[in-house]
Amino acid sequence: MTPDVLQQQIFSMMAQLSVVRAPDIKLEHRLREDLGLDSVSSMELLSMLAEQMNLDVPMEEAAHVTTVADTITMVQRHLEKRAMP
Amino acid sequence: MTEAGDDVMVQMVRRFAADEIRPLEIDAAHQIPPRVLEGLKGLGLFGLTLPERFGGSALSAVQTCRIVAALAESDRSVATTVGLHLGLGTRGLVAFGSPAQHERWLPQLAQGDVIAAFATTEPGAGSDLSAIATTAHPLADGKLKVSGSKLYVTNGGFASLFTITASTPLLGSANRGTSLLLIPGEARGLVRHPEERKLGLRGSSTIAVSLDDVEVTGVDSLLSEPGAGHKHLSHVLSWGRLFLSAGCIGTARAALKATHAHVSQRRQFRKALLQQEVVQRQLADAAMRLRAMVALVNETASAADANDEAALARLSTSAKVFCSEAAGTICDLAIQLHGGSGYIEDTGVALMARDARVTRIFEGANDVLTTHAGLMELTSPTKRAGAAADAVEAARQALHSKLGVKVFGRPSVLHHLGRAVVLRDAAQAAQTAATTAGELASAAQLGREAVELASRQFVALDPSQLTDVLEGVMES
Repeated sequence: MTPDVLQQQIFSMMAQLSVVRAPDIKLEHRLREDLGLDSVSSMELLSMLAEQMNLDVPMEEAAHVTTVADTITMVQRHLEKRAMP
Repeated sequence: MTEAGDDVMVQMVRRFAADEIRPLEIDAAHQIPPRVLEGLKGLGLFGLTLPERFGGSALSAVQTCRIVAALAESDRSVATTVGLHLGLGTRGLVAFGSPAQHERWLPQLAQGDVIAAFATTEPGAGSDLSAIATTAHPLADGKLKVSGSKLYVTNGGFASLFTITASTPLLGSANRGTSLLLIPGEARGLVRHPEERKLGLRGSSTIAVSLDDVEVTGVDSLLSEPGAGHKHLSHVLSWGRLFLSAGCIGTARAALKATHAHVSQRRQFRKALLQQEVVQRQLADAAMRLRAMVALVNETASAADANDEAALARLSTSAKVFCSEAAGTICDLAIQLHGGSGYIEDTGVALMARDARVTRIFEGANDVLTTHAGLMELTSPTKRAGAAADAVEAARQALHSKLGVKVFGRPSVLHHLGRAVVLRDAAQAAQTAATTAGELASAAQLGREAVELASRQFVALDPSQLTDVLEGVMES
C-alpha cells in the first residue's frame, strides 16, 4: 500500500467518527480538539485501524497518539514490522 | 465552616424541610412554592459553594454534599433545583470565570436572586458531546452569535443565567473546539419552551431552550479560553455528578427510613415484617449500599476539595453510577416492602422511586459512564489494594494481553469492566470508612460482588443473533 493510499484510508476511517469530512482532515489536526473525537471515539478509531489492518497495537503505544500524523506514523510502523521477515 | 457548624446547617435544613416542604404537594402542583424558594434563599443554600467575598459560604464539597443529601431526604425536586445551581449551574463560572464575570454574576447567584441553569443536551447530542450542533460565531464587533437548541434544561424555566456548550470553530487555535458560554436569561433570541411533563422530579423545572441568533459580547460570555470546553466540561460535569450522587443518598435514606418504619409496625404471619429473615436480609443489603454511597460520595467530595482532578473525574463517575443505581434499588425495595401501600402515591415512596429514576439517565447516562469507567481503567489504571482491586487489575491485564488496542472497539467489554470498577470503588470507599466489624463485613460483601463481576468470563453477543432473538420475540 502506498503512503498516499494508506493516508486516504485512515482519513476515511477518521471521517466516520468525526464531523470533519475526509478531504478537510490535515496531518497536524489533533484528534480531540480538531476532529472533535472524545476519549472513547479516539480509542475506537485506533481499534478500528487495528482491526481492519490486522495490527497488534499495544495499549501503551496507543495512549501516546494525539494527532492525525501520530496515527499514521503508528500504523506505518506496525505495517513495516509486520512486513519484516 | 467547622464540622459542628456543618451539622448545625444540616439541622437547619432538616427543620426547614420538616416545616415547609411538602413533597406530594410539590409533585401535584408541578412546581416548588415561592415561599419554599424564598426560604431556601433565606438559609443561604444558593451560595453554599460560592466564594465568601461574593456573599457565598465557601463550604467544602464534603459539607455541601451533606446539605444536599439532607435536602433530598425531604424532596428531590428541591434538592435538584439547589444542587444544579451549585454544581453544573455555577461551577464553570467559579472555576473558569474572569474577575469581571465573577463581579457581575456571583453576588446575585450567592443570594439566590439569580438562579443558574446548565444547557448541553441537544436534539442530536446527549452523552456524545462531539455531536454538539449549537454554534457561536464571531461577529465583527467582538460579539458572538449563538444559534442552536438545548433540551432538558434543569432550572430553565426561571434561571437568569445559563452556562451552555457551543461549538466555536472559528475561535482560538482549535479547528473544531467546544467552548463554555454564559448566556443571560434575558438575552434577546433566548426562547424558553413550555415545561416538560415528566415521570418524576415534577417540581423541578425542565424545559427546552432555543438560541435564535443570540448576540452576546465575547469577553462577557466565554468562560476561559475558546476551544477549552471539553476540558472544562469534564470538571463541571464531575461537580454536577458529585451533587447528584449526594442527592441520591438523601432519597435512599428517606426510602429506607420510611420502609423501616413500615416494616416495624406491619405484622404478617403473627410477627412484624422486621422480624422476618427475608425482610431483614433485604434491609441489610439496602443498608450496605447506603453506607457505601455515603463513603463513596465523601471520598469523591474530598478529591474535589483537594483539587485532585484525576481522582475527581474517576470517582464522580463511579459515584454517579453506583449511587443512582443503589437509590433506584432501595426505592424499589421500599415499594416492595410497603406492599400494596407502596404503590399508592400518598405513602410517598412511589414518589421517591419516580424522582430517583432519572438519576440513572441525566448528567451522563449510566451505560455511557460505565463504559467510560472501563476505558479510563484500561488507559490509566488505578492503584488500589484489596481483593476487588486485584480482580479488576487481573481483568485489565487479561484484556490488554488478549485484545490490545482492539478492546476499544468492543464497548460492551469496556462496560463490563466498568461495572466492576464502579463496584470496586464503592467497596473500597466503604471499607476505608468502616469503623465497626459490621461495616467492614458489609464493605467486604460489596467487594465480593466486584470480584465476582471482574472474574466472570465476558462473552460478547453476536449482533445478528440479537436481531433474530428480538424479531422472534416481537412476532410471537
